[in-house]
Amino acid sequence: MSDDSGLWLLALGPAGGVGLYWALYRYYRNTDKSHAFERETKVETKPVTGSDTQVGTNNGTRDRRISGDNVSDYRERVERIRNDSG
Amino acid sequence: MANNPPKFTGPGSPRDVPPASGDPGFDPYNMPAPVREEVLKPDPVALDTNAEELKDGTNHCPKCASTDIRQKPGTDLLVCAFCRNEWQGERVEEEFALGVGQDQLDGTIIASGARDIAADEAVLRTFKCNCCGAEVTINTESEMTARCHWCRNVFGVNQQVANGAVPDAVLPFHIKKDDAIARIRQFVDKRRFFALKAFKEEFTPENVISVYMPYMIVDGKATAQVQGKGEIETRKYTRGSGNNKTTYYDADVYQVDRRMDFTVDDLPLESSAERADLNTGHNTNNIINTIQPFDTKNAVKWNAQYLRGCSSEKRDLDVEQMKPRLVDQLLSIARAKVEGSVNRYDRGVRWEKEGLKVHGSRWVAMYLPVWLYSYYQQDSGMLHYIAVNGRTGETMGSVPVQQWKLILVSLTAGTIIEGLAIWFMTVAS
Repeated sequence: MSDDSGLWLLALGPAGGVGLYWALYRYYRNTDKSHAFERETKVETKPVTGSDTQVGTNNGTRDRRISGDNVSDYRERVERIRNDSG
Repeated sequence: MANNPPKFTGPGSPRDVPPASGDPGFDPYNMPAPVREEVLKPDPVALDTNAEELKDGTNHCPKCASTDIRQKPGTDLLVCAFCRNEWQGERVEEEFALGVGQDQLDGTIIASGARDIAADEAVLRTFKCNCCGAEVTINTESEMTARCHWCRNVFGVNQQVANGAVPDAVLPFHIKKDDAIARIRQFVDKRRFFALKAFKEEFTPENVISVYMPYMIVDGKATAQVQGKGEIETRKYTRGSGNNKTTYYDADVYQVDRRMDFTVDDLPLESSAERADLNTGHNTNNIINTIQPFDTKNAVKWNAQYLRGCSSEKRDLDVEQMKPRLVDQLLSIARAKVEGSVNRYDRGVRWEKEGLKVHGSRWVAMYLPVWLYSYYQQDSGMLHYIAVNGRTGETMGSVPVQQWKLILVSLTAGTIIEGLAIWFMTVAS
């Protein structure tokens, strides 16, 4: 065991306590629930078109995923391309 | 010359660039009054769902003409309390062809019950009983039927008044009260230990009420576009030795563009401003939002008799006010749908820009059935709902928690884990 791995073990207690609190709180209050319209609405799509162009490399990174990965955060809005309309 | 075919070139022919939509090609204000009035008259609503036969406010049994009509519990049938005759309301899906043509939508089509709410339209409406002539007042904020206090004739608000209270369609309750009570009881029984003491003591699911909630059911046709960066791992290696090992990754970075045409069928949006506010910091409206979806395909044409004995909430949002929410949800749907096309980026994708063009949308106002149990938490001022979907029985709720109990248990658990961690560290060193 290295020195720093011993220190993170100390964080287990507070993390476990807070984690349990939030898990139980959410089970009772269900604040994280909403209608999953992305999955539960009938949607018909035409084939997806698009392009993929290599623009560079990201070598020697220690991150397991791309920074700012939001491929599954469907409801997180990003910058809007103008010319769109409601 | 009158028999000559129309010219295909030159002014006035299809070779001309057509005027903008809605532009008559001349200034109507310079025209004589009758022409001006005709040109400036509002367009007819695209979908007129108003029921002509119910305009006088009374709905007669087709067999005996009695007005004492109720919904048969658990079905979409109406039943006459006088002669027991039963009949089925017309499904709007077929009646107004709402299930087809999504890919041909162009512009905003608004059904007559979803039209803009007139600001001066009163909530309290007075109707003249056509049996005895007495005047009966109905508060359309929460009720849509009343019984004449003189002759016991039953009234319904059937004509589409412009205060937003009368929708195009209604989805009748299928889940009965006993069933709803059982579901609420079961839901709470699984959440008793940490529940607020006062909540447990006052828990009476028999007080559940049947409410028709206002929604807009939207069909839409849109094109979405997303742009971002994606990464594909090309190499993974480890540097260092022993405890100082670190894993590094090499990746190729791609510019990813995606574009998709799609149509949605029956996307429900809350059409009451209060219900559309899903801020869980100060309300529990997300509970009512969660029990969706409803089988909106089975909705029947508006008839106030379906609402007898139920309360209802009035719509207070117009289509234009709801469009930003439609765009937001369509963007979310598009993002979910394009995910499958970027699977090759095993290090994920960071979407940086997105756009949406709505080509057409069709809006139908609908009342959807909800069994609602509510509890007002005094100290925090929070109204907690437990809601049961009146069609599918899906149940969701917010049970107030006894904070000191929950914190005590969490602290205890944290202390035990911490103790174990310290013990493990001591043993290991």
